[in-house]
Amino acid sequence: MSSFWLKRSRSSSSLLLQNPRTKTRTVESSQFLNFIDSNQNHTVLPSGLSSFLFKALKNSSGSDFNRSKTCFFGSQYQQFFPRNSKGGFSFFGTQAATEPSTADGLTVEGIVANRWTILDESDSDWKSHAAAIAQSIQVIKRRLQWKKLMVRLNLLSVELNKPDLWDDPVHAGRISREHGSLMGKMKEVKAFEQELLEHIDMIKLAREENDTELESESLEALVTMRRISNEKELEALLSGEQDPCPCYIEVQAGAGGTESMDWAAMVMEMYKSWAQRRGYGVTVVDEMPGEMAGIKRATIKVVGEYAFGYAKSEVGVHRLVRISPFDSGKRRHTSFAAVAVIPIMGDGSTRVQINESDLRIERYRAGGPGGQHANTTESAVRIVHIPTGVTATCQNERSQHQNKASAMAVLQSRLDQLEMTRQAQMNAQHTQSLTEISWGNQIRTYVLHPYRMVKDLRTNYEVSDPDSVLEGDLDGFILSYLSASLDKDENIEDHQSAQSQSLIREEEEIPESFMASTITNSTITTATVLREEEIQSLNNSSIQADVSSNEVVEGNPRKWQPFRRRHILDGYSTEAVADVSSGGEDDIRDTNKFLE
Amino acid sequence: MKLSLIRTYSCNIFPIFHKPKTQSLSLCARSRRPICSSSLKPKIPLFLRPSNYSATLSDLKKWHDWAKTLSSSIGSSFFDSDNGPDSSLLFRELNWLIEDSLEDHSLIPQLGIQDNSTNVRLRVDIDELYSLWKQRIEERKPFQYIVGCEHWRDLVLSVEEGVFIPRPETELLIDSVSDVVSNNEELRQGLWVDLGTGSGAIAIGIGRILESRGRVIAIDLNPLAASVAAFNVQRYGLQDVIEVRQGSWFEPLKDIEIEEKLSGVISNPPYIPSDDIPGLQAEVRTHEPRLALDGGLDGMDDLRYLCNRTASLLKPGGFFAFETNGEKQCKFLVDYLENDNAGSFCNLKIVSDFAYPVEVVTEQTIN
Repeated sequence: MSSFWLKRSRSSSSLLLQNPRTKTRTVESSQFLNFIDSNQNHTVLPSGLSSFLFKALKNSSGSDFNRSKTCFFGSQYQQFFPRNSKGGFSFFGTQAATEPSTADGLTVEGIVANRWTILDESDSDWKSHAAAIAQSIQVIKRRLQWKKLMVRLNLLSVELNKPDLWDDPVHAGRISREHGSLMGKMKEVKAFEQELLEHIDMIKLAREENDTELESESLEALVTMRRISNEKELEALLSGEQDPCPCYIEVQAGAGGTESMDWAAMVMEMYKSWAQRRGYGVTVVDEMPGEMAGIKRATIKVVGEYAFGYAKSEVGVHRLVRISPFDSGKRRHTSFAAVAVIPIMGDGSTRVQINESDLRIERYRAGGPGGQHANTTESAVRIVHIPTGVTATCQNERSQHQNKASAMAVLQSRLDQLEMTRQAQMNAQHTQSLTEISWGNQIRTYVLHPYRMVKDLRTNYEVSDPDSVLEGDLDGFILSYLSASLDKDENIEDHQSAQSQSLIREEEEIPESFMASTITNSTITTATVLREEEIQSLNNSSIQADVSSNEVVEGNPRKWQPFRRRHILDGYSTEAVADVSSGGEDDIRDTNKFLE
Repeated sequence: MKLSLIRTYSCNIFPIFHKPKTQSLSLCARSRRPICSSSLKPKIPLFLRPSNYSATLSDLKKWHDWAKTLSSSIGSSFFDSDNGPDSSLLFRELNWLIEDSLEDHSLIPQLGIQDNSTNVRLRVDIDELYSLWKQRIEERKPFQYIVGCEHWRDLVLSVEEGVFIPRPETELLIDSVSDVVSNNEELRQGLWVDLGTGSGAIAIGIGRILESRGRVIAIDLNPLAASVAAFNVQRYGLQDVIEVRQGSWFEPLKDIEIEEKLSGVISNPPYIPSDDIPGLQAEVRTHEPRLALDGGLDGMDDLRYLCNRTASLLKPGGFFAFETNGEKQCKFLVDYLENDNAGSFCNLKIVSDFAYPVEVVTEQTIN
């Protein structure tokens, strides 16, 4: 591996010889990368050195690159990375210098920059294949958060070389596992890149030598790579640490009584069929049915590869607009259901230690004497973790003992998630529990009337057939969200700012329509807060309003959670959020149109 | 309300207990007393039967739809009349019935699909399924008798009409035993007795906790219960730990020298006052054996008898726990034991099941 790097960097350094400063840097970088390599082989090296080197390298390459960009790469690269800003090139400089390349200096970046036309797979033009693969490689790198991955890898290598690492075997295990997994990812991409370049070399060589057999062989190999690269792109979407885990999906109905409980049940059904389509195992852990129809709340366990990775895109509030079958007045209703997704971490991960004495265990049962008096198959168990107030309920197992075990598993995952959120505030988006999800955090709208459409508010991905979506055809939404969220992250150097950006973007898109539609004639909006009593009071007010007129205004919106934006990041002011989105206005217009 | 009464000796002197080696105490010597007579062959629970039947998915769906309609017609009427099951519980039971009847559970989600002519293998004839669900709703036959099993703790126990169905509350008795033996190796290696074992639930629960180090004798007056208990013991491979004997309370132990020898006595004896029997939930009243429920005028006939006998049979430091009708009976028993058997017990504890706030009464008596 080291020799490979050396060779490659030499070939690129020859290319970069025109700029002597760049050359020095190249040598440094190759040293640095060799260093990483040897770290990967767990050679004992003085700790701290690599990070120092890395720092030095980063600084020098950053400043150098700005120069080399203008003097050597020219405008081509500026075009290619038009959205990079404020020092965003620093790492790229290192990469460019050590980038594997073909004999004549063509790199993956170079291929993409050449903007060769990408033709259909059936066209036997090597440039087209190469361009397609190179593009995929860039997408994959972006999705793996390549820069962050390298930084993290370096930090882990440093950590691994600490002599006292194994004093804490749990910690050490985690570090070495993560290092191994990141290393595997990195090597895979590097190997793929290398393979592409080698095939290009072969084709060029074959052409020089007029060896048609070799040429067609290499071309064939490129076609295969092109196909694989599509799969790899998809895989790269799910590179998070918890993505391969199974998970719990929880759905909770917003206020609005039967209509929103029915909606919650529809959402839950949607996930059940989605999971079944993917071949995941689904078990209902907890279900609190509504009085007339639907569910107040339910939890399912989804077991299968990457269940959490996919399902995490569904976290947030889902909104339904339809003529309610439960409204004798046949009016249009808007209801909400909140979705939370909790990863079930394997034994390998650090798990929160639960102290028995911190638990209050309750058994749900109908009134009256139990024991010999009653024959019941009802053995629901509720566990309250007193210090955090986190609760878990299970009623679907056939014995109390198993319900308790099941509820404990849910509780464990919830507490793990809580701890995870605490440790990594930046992951807050995907790790919110139901109670934390602000009802303003709408992610998707399902309109069954007056027109039919499902639209994701984060990605603007939309589908005109709500039935197929409600039958579990969610992959389009999930993949578009995953790629959008990863693809935009990479362009922003500072992770913190990346997060706040994405949050701002999301929050901008909260349609204020439901705020507006509360004052629209004959539209009942059931915006919500989670606390039972508040739901109760909302329900009451809605009933009263129903009686008095068609115009239903439920309380003072300012009092409600949905309009209070969450402070997820420090120093992020809520006032900064744009107030009314265009989506909201559209919706009002639609409503009015419908009313006319 | 149901409370368990747990009580331990607190003598400071523990005579060394030797696990009896004599033939009469050897629990492996099952040949001496047949566990069950051949005439009482226990029924095989539904989920253990071979899949000898088949039906199309659409026929199964038809049955399922019918059963669902029947169940939803119940609403809360059973619940309102005698605390019986409501529709939502019946729906859950229906799902479990399907789970137990169907060989391939992965087909269950397909039940929603119309006109599915896929054949599925069943453990029971589809006509039988109709009749079973009718019995559940119309005759109020307990669900556990319908499927022939009860999920209890981490066990699946065979039960059938005539044998008392173990209750979730009784799971707590096992937890108490687990707590007691966890730091008392002597108790773990001793001889335990489950009186009125029914399906063998308590005996099997304890047997698994003792980890083959101790022994359990499970006793029931009802020959059918004894044979079902033996079946369950066998299913969990505990024949070498648990011996099932048929007879009344301590009577089948006559052949063993047990005075001050027992490590533990556990029982869920009948404790419902006779007058309360007619008002019980239909499932219990009309289907479960009265023998296992009726505790005489105040419901304490058997509890009193057991307390009296246990006092002389438990070895010092031994442990006993009985399930009772609730706080009132518990308090009464505590008083009874303190006054009539003064000095012989200590650490009397009332453990409430966790449906209600836990209330513990600890009594320290002086020897």
